[in-house]
Amino acid sequence: MGLKELVTPFTAWKNVIKDPVTVKDPFNDRPGAERYRGFHKNDVEECIGCGTCEDICENEAIDLVPVEGIETKDGDSGLRPRLDYGRCCWCALCVDVCTTGSLTLSNEYTWVSEDPEDFRYTPGTDKKEWDDNERGWKKPEGGYEFYARERVAMPELHAEDRDKSFIEFVTGYSKQQAEEEADRCVECGICTATCPAHMGIPEYIKAIRNDDLEEGLRILYETNPLPEICGRICTHKCETVCSMGHRGDPISIRWLKRYIADQNPSEKYKEILNQGNVENNGKKVAIIGSGPSGLSAAYYLALTGYDCTIYEKLPQAGGMMRYGIPEYRLPYDQIDKDIDYILSLGVKIKYNVNIGTDFTLEQLGKDYDAVFSGTGLHLGRSTRIPGSDNENVYFATDLLREIALEDDIPVEKKIVVIGGGNVAMDITRSLARLQNIKYGKVDITATSLESEDIMPADREEVVEAREEKAIVDPGWGPKEIEIKDGKVKGLRVVKCLSVFDEKGAFSPKFDENNKKFFEADMVVESIGQGMDTGYLTEEIKSQLEFGPRGRIIVDEYFQSGLNWLFVGGDIIQGPDVIHGIANGHRAAVGIDLFLNK
Amino acid sequence: MNKSSKLINWQPDRSKYPELDENGKAIIDLSSQKFIKTWQGPNHPGVTGNMSLELTISGDEVVEAKTHVGYLHRGFEKLMERRLYIQCFPTCVRMCVPEADSNEYVLAAGIEELDNIEVPEMALWLRTLVLEMARLQVLLRTVPGQASTLSLGLGGQWGMYLRDLILDRFEELTGGRIYHMFIIPGGVRGNLPSGFKDRMEENLKLIDDFIIRIEDLIFTNSVFNKRTIGVGVIDPKWVSQYGIVGPNARAAGFKRDVRKDYPYLKYNELDYDVYTRTDSDIYGRSQVRKNDLIQTVDLIRQILAKMPEKGDLRAKTPNVMHWKVPKGETYQRSESSRGEYGLYLVSDGSKYPRRANLRGPSYTHAVSLLERMLINSNISDTHAIMVSLQTCPPEIER
Amino acid sequence: METIINDIKARFEVSDITKQRDNFTIVTCKKELAVALVTHLKDVEKFSHLVLLSAVDWIEDNKFQITYILNNPDSRIDIGVRTFIDRETATMDSAHHLWEHVATYQRELHEMYGINFPGSPRINESFILEGWDDIPPMLRNFNTKQYSEDTFFPRPGRGSNDPAEYMKKKLYPNE
Repeated sequence: MGLKELVTPFTAWKNVIKDPVTVKDPFNDRPGAERYRGFHKNDVEECIGCGTCEDICENEAIDLVPVEGIETKDGDSGLRPRLDYGRCCWCALCVDVCTTGSLTLSNEYTWVSEDPEDFRYTPGTDKKEWDDNERGWKKPEGGYEFYARERVAMPELHAEDRDKSFIEFVTGYSKQQAEEEADRCVECGICTATCPAHMGIPEYIKAIRNDDLEEGLRILYETNPLPEICGRICTHKCETVCSMGHRGDPISIRWLKRYIADQNPSEKYKEILNQGNVENNGKKVAIIGSGPSGLSAAYYLALTGYDCTIYEKLPQAGGMMRYGIPEYRLPYDQIDKDIDYILSLGVKIKYNVNIGTDFTLEQLGKDYDAVFSGTGLHLGRSTRIPGSDNENVYFATDLLREIALEDDIPVEKKIVVIGGGNVAMDITRSLARLQNIKYGKVDITATSLESEDIMPADREEVVEAREEKAIVDPGWGPKEIEIKDGKVKGLRVVKCLSVFDEKGAFSPKFDENNKKFFEADMVVESIGQGMDTGYLTEEIKSQLEFGPRGRIIVDEYFQSGLNWLFVGGDIIQGPDVIHGIANGHRAAVGIDLFLNK
Repeated sequence: MNKSSKLINWQPDRSKYPELDENGKAIIDLSSQKFIKTWQGPNHPGVTGNMSLELTISGDEVVEAKTHVGYLHRGFEKLMERRLYIQCFPTCVRMCVPEADSNEYVLAAGIEELDNIEVPEMALWLRTLVLEMARLQVLLRTVPGQASTLSLGLGGQWGMYLRDLILDRFEELTGGRIYHMFIIPGGVRGNLPSGFKDRMEENLKLIDDFIIRIEDLIFTNSVFNKRTIGVGVIDPKWVSQYGIVGPNARAAGFKRDVRKDYPYLKYNELDYDVYTRTDSDIYGRSQVRKNDLIQTVDLIRQILAKMPEKGDLRAKTPNVMHWKVPKGETYQRSESSRGEYGLYLVSDGSKYPRRANLRGPSYTHAVSLLERMLINSNISDTHAIMVSLQTCPPEIER
Repeated sequence: METIINDIKARFEVSDITKQRDNFTIVTCKKELAVALVTHLKDVEKFSHLVLLSAVDWIEDNKFQITYILNNPDSRIDIGVRTFIDRETATMDSAHHLWEHVATYQRELHEMYGINFPGSPRINESFILEGWDDIPPMLRNFNTKQYSEDTFFPRPGRGSNDPAEYMKKKLYPNE
């Protein structure tokens, strides 16, 4: 305890002459840092109201509320997050998990108000002064993700293994892949509204995560009795609005549906779905056409106790599913698996029966309490260009049907297909396979009015067709089929500049100077399909109402002007398998209401 | 008791003091009017945080002390049982208020161990940096804070200013000043902003200067020395009996530091020593903490020099909305500025934790040890003894 | 580490040995032998530092699990000792004679879980909760959300919507 310890502390007095440290104007001189977690901002145009922010907030500070001026539509629930600052802790988990990236934080940190209700607000809608502030917390980059952005790739057979036969080339998910893909879902529920059948999609994806595939099958069958089929060829409108699709790949909902159906063996369906004994209520319903709409109507009517009989024109059931979609996309045994289950519920089916010639529709109307007609669009449409009436010019629908009927179809060495939709791709790839089998080499060209970026076919179809060595050359308008000595020589085309005009109406414009000639021995037209209403007699037609392009007008339950006749499927909505299924279900509900009034 | 000075006869007249029983404990008879019962706390400048000491005093000598906690019970452990794992971490971070990052780290490390997740390199370095910065800002307040308990508040003011500068660095790195919510299961939530290393170096230079100034002001100060040397002695036998960890144990001669004994994050790539002393009184503990402060500044410089430029911030984990951690239990520890800080995590295979039990060093320091140490101490020294143990009430009752 | 485990396996019939990390093993012991095992580890095997005494409520098995975590600071190993006690008659032998701070842990477990440690000093004094008159709060059957709704009155005006149901109401209410 010497002199040093007594005197040294006084050296602190030298600070008296130093300037103190002061921040004179904290509000302006000291803003929050670049990354500071301040008050919320939301871009209400980007936000889709998925509710993931509400699910992750551990203080339950976020509510989803409807906002004036924002309407509910496909892919947008119309709700927006409202925050309660009495509960928020500004952890920014809601920003990090936001599927569209619309919710962010500004770096503002002072807010004084005399009214406590002010502190519950909807950012983006209730204007605040920090809405334009660019600084603040945003989701960090660099591998920082709360869920996986890329989807699990679906294994497929390589082109060399699949282009000489009709075996199914998509091999399906394994258990681990399916669970990994199902893990990506955030259970927002926006997909359900867009699905025409309103399937419980988040619920069955959750069943895959919990490895409870029997529950998954039950959820599927509540709205869709054809899961093996839809799991392969559905047009997956749900995937287009999936919230993960905004900043990554949408969830592979279709392949997950196929996984559930694949894992459950058909022998166990009755037990899992528990639909063994339904009491018959004594009423009978006739169904024309065993396509998706007819089968779906039969299934739901059978479960309600009706005695259903299906009348099918072709030798096997399935409609467009069997006779329009090639086997490599939808194998026949999977169609049989779904259809056999529906038939096992007591639905009767008569094959090779043509309504209109073997029976009349009036006869059915008298014998049965109600009739559902789902005859579909099986007639091809023609371009009607010169030369299209030659015998070597075919319709895609006819050829696809004959392949499925296992008849021999003509397969020439050089083929041109006119059309750019999925049906055109189907016939192109089927003919490529047949050419491979018959000649050992492929020479088939598909051409369409639409240029490559607006082709209506799925992107994967075009890519896979090219892998199978077919040529896809879009953007040409057919002018004439050149005939010589009664044989087709080729197709003359001119460049198509645009297909639709400013109003969106179909009005193609061509450049006559840019010509091309596709050599061919056979031309296939695949530009659209029409309905065969030959079975509607004049008397029945007089009691129905028709709309533009000859479509029958029906009400919300698909009941036509003739009260015992219900019409649905491709001839009313679609053309799509899932629309057919939804129509059939709704019509079944309508028939039940009509017969029990 | 303080050593007597030779000028004045300081020996008290023990006839007025309570009798001692065979253990040396005073026999308390509250009706004998020799005792006063008083409360130090909970709302008192003389306690660290919100806890209270119920003191029984005879004259100015404390004969019995009881610690009462419970003013900061927020029920976090029960709340965590109803939250998903990703939702747990904003709850867990608030368990120990002064040094919030240790909480985040032990929870994240526990989950990563149960689910076998490997954290990327960059994230490990950032975690080490953040833990050291947290230690720095606590020590900047505590080291001169010891003198504040003896009414020398000047050093504490300097320390608070420098701590504010470090909190600015935290704000630009993590987005928050006190509750950083930066370390999450799987990785971290951001990379160094540009210019961070330069600004940090400026702050560290100020801290170097500060250490020299408090050496002059506090540690070479006759009043401080007289009041702290020999006061608040921890007997080395008590270290295992009371479960003492951290600087309190190091000042008693035990070379224990979780960073050296059970290396975690990037500590085995850094160069540092464990400083111990044997005098085990308040002065010794303050010296240990001052050396910890010097060492932390050096560690931060090493980390900023050795850190890679860029890298992944977070490992790939299952979707956090439905993350099911496999069944198991584990105990993860880290070295906070107060000692061994750990979390016992039990998971039952569902989306929610089954039990998350935090073990803070103050659980024993502030309750059993403090009650023992305050006996026979002078009432003016109670605050000094409490701060020298670096008690922190939030982690006692979570 | 291996020798220690084999030794206590022979002496105290421990089961369910989980090697969590290289230097951390957790074993299960019978309730009657648990405190004896802990004493043995403390005195003979030099695990002189008690890290934690905690409890877990396994309500579906009708048991409490009590965990002692011990640490040997010189050889740097941890051992966890688990024992299961019945949930209805929740009592366990007290270990307060081994370390001073065990009494505090036991006070907290008594208050939070209702587990009694007969003989532990100040066991009935409230540690964290003063004036609590409900069941011990850390039990799994204590519903904190229900308690908070019954006791506190939040500011009215909150209410949320589920996106899928709202879209159904707006876009296809009849299907």
